[in-house]
Amino acid sequence: MSTAPTQPGPKRHSRLVEWLKTIVFYEILVGMKATMSHLLRYRPITVQYPHEKRALPDNYRGMLALLRYDDGTEKCVGCDLCEAACPSRVIRVVSAEVPGEPTKRYSKEYYMDMTRCLFCGMCVEACPVDALGMTQEFEWAVYDKRQLYLNKQQLLAIGDRSFPVREKRLELQHRNVAFFNVSFSHVPQKPN
Amino acid sequence: MTELSVRLAVSLAQIAAVMGVVMLTVMILTLAERKVLGWMQDRMGPMEVGPYGVLQPIADGLKLFFKEDIVPAGANKFMFTLAPILAMVPALIGFAVIPFGPGQTFEFFGISVKPFVISDINIGILYILAFTSIGAYGIILGGWASNSKYSLLGGLRSAAQVISYELNVGLAIVGVLILAGSLSLVKIAEAQSGGFWHWYVFAFPAPQIFAFVVYVISAVAETNRVPFDLPEAESELVAGFFTEYSGMRFAFFFIAEYANMVLVSCIAAVMFLGGWNAPYPGTILAQVGLPQVAWAENIAWFTVKTYAFLFLFFWLRATLPRLRYDQLMKFGWKVMLPIALANIVVTSIAVYFFRG
Repeated sequence: MSTAPTQPGPKRHSRLVEWLKTIVFYEILVGMKATMSHLLRYRPITVQYPHEKRALPDNYRGMLALLRYDDGTEKCVGCDLCEAACPSRVIRVVSAEVPGEPTKRYSKEYYMDMTRCLFCGMCVEACPVDALGMTQEFEWAVYDKRQLYLNKQQLLAIGDRSFPVREKRLELQHRNVAFFNVSFSHVPQKPN
Repeated sequence: MTELSVRLAVSLAQIAAVMGVVMLTVMILTLAERKVLGWMQDRMGPMEVGPYGVLQPIADGLKLFFKEDIVPAGANKFMFTLAPILAMVPALIGFAVIPFGPGQTFEFFGISVKPFVISDINIGILYILAFTSIGAYGIILGGWASNSKYSLLGGLRSAAQVISYELNVGLAIVGVLILAGSLSLVKIAEAQSGGFWHWYVFAFPAPQIFAFVVYVISAVAETNRVPFDLPEAESELVAGFFTEYSGMRFAFFFIAEYANMVLVSCIAAVMFLGGWNAPYPGTILAQVGLPQVAWAENIAWFTVKTYAFLFLFFWLRATLPRLRYDQLMKFGWKVMLPIALANIVVTSIAVYFFRG
């Protein structure tokens, strides 16, 4: 199939046309027509950002947050897997026993240095109990870098703010973690 | 009152009015450029200050006044201070001979004054060319006094560019001068009255259309505008000759550039597009029985022509990428200059044969 465009005319003719196009700035005029057509059919594609905001996709990877169960207890069990998974060493977890319950552990301290975070989401993937989540927040410009060194209370506050209703989202969870994620009050009765 | 004091008062009032209008135009242009560029690029331009961002020039001015004014260590302080003034004054001084309206005289306290031109001197265009070439000193001195290599390179580029394209401006205008037989801008504009076919772009014995194209291109180059904005090529020279300037000193260069744009637009309107003449013979206001205010229509036409030419600056900027420096110089010397010279020869021959 020959899909060649229009055949070039006789060489002398095309040379004359080229010369004419050069002296009347044909290409520049075509470009100017293009810009003028944009001015006449003016449809801005910009968003007036602080006043209008785009709807972010559901899987947007914004600010990290620590989550809670429905009864308010923290999901984090201080297992350190997020710290191990993090490629930029953002996370530091200090794990401790729950007082009076030697079999249970929790994260006594939890720090995230968001200046280094590249929002890859690998900590969220690594967490076996879905204690970490990525929110839709992205407006975290600060004047002092130290304000981005977040502690556990701040991360929990972000989680409370972004997920006020801690609903089960089983369809989004890895099947291996589904059991841990179910809050205590919603554990289904095992069939006998 | 003596005649001298009246003349002085009238001149000062004219100067104040023209400076006010020019500064207002510069303010409008800074906003209009950003708006037009935005519209052409499917953006909105400034939108925050005032409705649709119309107060943006005032906000910019306030910001520039309150910014820290830095003189770099190692800079030649005197030249560094002098350069913005040297750039600005020639840009504004050219408006002294531009006729904004008809050159008719009005009686005022017993003396006759021409209200729409500050000074109708018989070498008007020569005066403008002489003073605008001084503007290049401001730019090259600003680049040199900053004690920065990039600024110096920007200043040198600007000097070479302005000088070579100023030559083409001068040669493009010569054709009009041959046709008009005068260097006075008022006489040149008056000679083009009576419909757009009398404008020197289309005038009978020798249409100056090629000279006009040469003039437009050279004017864009002389005011350091896109696509000839090599003195401030930010991808090569940081920001060019005004890299080290801040605050109001930077604003002076900025105002000078825009004032130069207005000036070359005014010259284009006067020399090629009939000045304050309407594109039809006479004026409509005189036809309907208001000859006393016919000058208002003339000034409106002058404003329309000037702003249309200024719009062309924005249009070109939205369309074209920057030229390479050797292309710029080659284009100026090998293309523009021969066309301008040929235009002079053809115009001279045509005038010789058709006017005797």
